[in-house]
Amino acid sequence: MTDVLEFPQCRIVPMRLLGADTTRRLLDRLATIHGVRRILLNGQNLPSTVPYGPSRGLATVHPQRKKIRVLGTEVDLRVQVGSLVLEVEDRSVIDEVRSLCGDFFTDFSCSVQEGRFMKTRPSLSDYARYGPLPDPAMIGLSDPKQKEDPVFLTEPTGCRGDL
Amino acid sequence: MARKPQFGPGTSIVAENRRRQMDPSRRLPIVRNVTEEDIVLLLGHRAPGSAYPSAHPPLAEQQEPDCPMRKLVSPTEGAKAGDRVRYIQFADSMFNAPCQPYQRTYVEMYRFRGIDPGTLSGRQIVECRERDLEKYSKELIETDLFDPARSGLRGATVHGHSLRLSEDGMMFDALQRCILDRDGIVKYVKDQVGVPLDRPVSVGKPMVEDWLKRKSTIFHSLVGTPLRNDPEYIEYLQRIHSLRTKYGFMPMEG
Repeated sequence: MTDVLEFPQCRIVPMRLLGADTTRRLLDRLATIHGVRRILLNGQNLPSTVPYGPSRGLATVHPQRKKIRVLGTEVDLRVQVGSLVLEVEDRSVIDEVRSLCGDFFTDFSCSVQEGRFMKTRPSLSDYARYGPLPDPAMIGLSDPKQKEDPVFLTEPTGCRGDL
Repeated sequence: MARKPQFGPGTSIVAENRRRQMDPSRRLPIVRNVTEEDIVLLLGHRAPGSAYPSAHPPLAEQQEPDCPMRKLVSPTEGAKAGDRVRYIQFADSMFNAPCQPYQRTYVEMYRFRGIDPGTLSGRQIVECRERDLEKYSKELIETDLFDPARSGLRGATVHGHSLRLSEDGMMFDALQRCILDRDGIVKYVKDQVGVPLDRPVSVGKPMVEDWLKRKSTIFHSLVGTPLRNDPEYIEYLQRIHSLRTKYGFMPMEG
């Protein structure tokens, strides 16, 4: 078993599903907090084509499914974000996140929960995808069947935020 | 003594709304206007202005068998003309949508003729002859059974009724069939199965939160009327639950 350093995690759950622009503004602010290591976006899938029914295969032009720019890096948003899971360096960062959310969400409420929301140890699927020595930064971020890699943000704090 | 239907138990506003919607002697207030052409566009079964395709010749041209039931029950307009059977399907948000799947079926069974409703937890479909469907659909959309933001016409890919609302107060829709436009009016840009429309169809402004709470037919402990506030309803539910449980276990006690 690979030794894994475990970091505190928290989850931001707003009372409404976030639009692409709000997600971008929130990510821009979260990613600049010193000590945020990784961010995982969870939400409802926005398919590119109609999945069922008589119009199956037709393109769904959904305004919330688009590319957004976070700290100058392009992120392909394919979900309507319902919650954000953060892995942080230590617990004091969670208080900073909580304070940011209190200022950011003015039209509706939001809760910041502490706990374990992201996988921290490699599973059998990770072994099948990444082999015996996976990059710890990849574990828990996305479905191992997903073909695309996470997005890496490199500025401005020096700590790496992965989306 | 003449029997007077009760329609349902309960003392809360939710229970009263359920009874009001079900009772066919009470008119449902019309709160928006949608033209017949717009209804046809939303349904997506035929082009507006085109003739109704038929499944069989009109009844008047057919040799009807000598059947006492046929003498007793008069056919609907759609059945008389031999129309195809088509459908309309709704998804209703749990955040105080004015009607809910089970309630819709009760309402339709009390108010409409010649229908075949199908009820699921998050969506409700009703099938009937095409010209009857258009008439019923108009009533379902124009009256206070419908809210542009919390109710949705969704023939397929219905997911969204149990989710949190979007930032703008609209129910989540993966196909984005309707949009809340800048003028505050909800417009359908796709028909109920997700085929883009030639022009947007306006279904009016979303109702305000207070109106939705007053007209809701769903109990909701966070944003509406909690079920616990209606002891009569709880008593009724407990009675049904008890009878069903006993009957399944030992029918003679049921």
